[in-house]
Amino acid sequence: MRIQVSRTGGFAGIARHGEIDTSGRPDASEWEALAEAVLDSSRGGPPAGVPDGFRYRITVGDRTVDCADPRLTQEQRTLISRVLKEGA
Amino acid sequence: MQPRPNNGLQPVFCTIVPPHVLDKLSQADDPLLADPARRTLEADGARRHHRRVTALAWTPQAARTSAAVPSKPHRTLYDCRHGTDLPGVKVRDEGDDPTRDASVNRAYAGLGATFDLLLTEYGRSSIDGKGLPLVGSVHYDEKYNNAFFDGEQMVFGDGDGEIFLDFTIAIDVIAHELAHGLTQYTANLAYEGQSGALNESVSDVFGSLVKQYSLGQSADQGDWLIGAGLLAPRVSGVALRSMKAPGTAYDDDVLGKDPQPASMDDYVDTDEDNGGVHINSGIPNRAFYLLATALGGNAWERAGRIWFDVLTGGELAQDASFTDFARLTVKAAQQRFGEGDEAEAVLKAWSEVGVPTR
Repeated sequence: MRIQVSRTGGFAGIARHGEIDTSGRPDASEWEALAEAVLDSSRGGPPAGVPDGFRYRITVGDRTVDCADPRLTQEQRTLISRVLKEGA
Repeated sequence: MQPRPNNGLQPVFCTIVPPHVLDKLSQADDPLLADPARRTLEADGARRHHRRVTALAWTPQAARTSAAVPSKPHRTLYDCRHGTDLPGVKVRDEGDDPTRDASVNRAYAGLGATFDLLLTEYGRSSIDGKGLPLVGSVHYDEKYNNAFFDGEQMVFGDGDGEIFLDFTIAIDVIAHELAHGLTQYTANLAYEGQSGALNESVSDVFGSLVKQYSLGQSADQGDWLIGAGLLAPRVSGVALRSMKAPGTAYDDDVLGKDPQPASMDDYVDTDEDNGGVHINSGIPNRAFYLLATALGGNAWERAGRIWFDVLTGGELAQDASFTDFARLTVKAAQQRFGEGDEAEAVLKAWSEVGVPTR
């Protein structure tokens, strides 16, 4: 499973990207569970966001979810943080 | 016929009196002068004049005589304690002594400085013109490399120390966020495409104005940098943005290179960042810098006044383009200052960055 996170916006307008491929990873099932939780908890189209807030695009396989500061779910926060840190 | 005070004559306003003269009169202390001028302006019928006159009418005089319009800020600072619940724990209220938390104190001071500029120079009481309380939260999230305005309050991260430092370090960042609130309560420029870049630019403009105001700097003394002092020591750059020379603020192996264009020739078409609102803001930013330095003196007095007039004048559409905004700045310069240096400098500034004014 390929998980991508794209972060744009922010006061500085600096984009960051991260990507994780879960295949072959010892913690694959943990990643996959988190990714599924994000897909389940994310409803509706792209949020309006707030001025200077970060905007995130999370892609899990062929499914995409958009979210934005400051209204992120805990699952979104966790996944975003891990992918950007470990998959940069 | 020019009205003369204290001689009992009823002022008569012919249609040949230009709007900028009516504006000055509408702000006069003497209601004999001010009321007819306001009525004349309002008689235009368009909602835009009423909104504009209402904005202009919030002079310090109105603030003094009307208890309903505060002439002092009402600030409240909160601490998110590295969580993401807003607003967090209240740590400093208006009038409280400084706390031991420098982030709180800097945010408190920055909000106050912004309030001061808006009231003293433009006669506006807080961002809504009615003394709206100013709320800020610091220490949002962990190592959060950002600050934002959520529609109701300002939120500041600590930075991660690698790329960015504490976001309250830069007074222009504080004022930039608060200015998003000012825009929200006035023109409410849509945060995407060119209107979004204008929204961003207005915040950078007011960020710089507050910084220069607080430092007592004239336009040629200002550094015209946004977020100077915010970059961590290891970052190769002087600031996040340069209004003077967009595209030159930083060039770093981690951050990349400052992507801002300095003119329409290099306008960036992108889907990211709501259509590059933090990128293309470089163009109107540079126009403002050119205007302010061409006019000289304090940037907030004439250049800032023109920008403020357009933002609050009621004619700026939410989906305004750069051209729409530029046209209105020419008109505002003419209305406030007549046909002279100011209007000419406005035309020249937009011409230099490649934005049409016709």
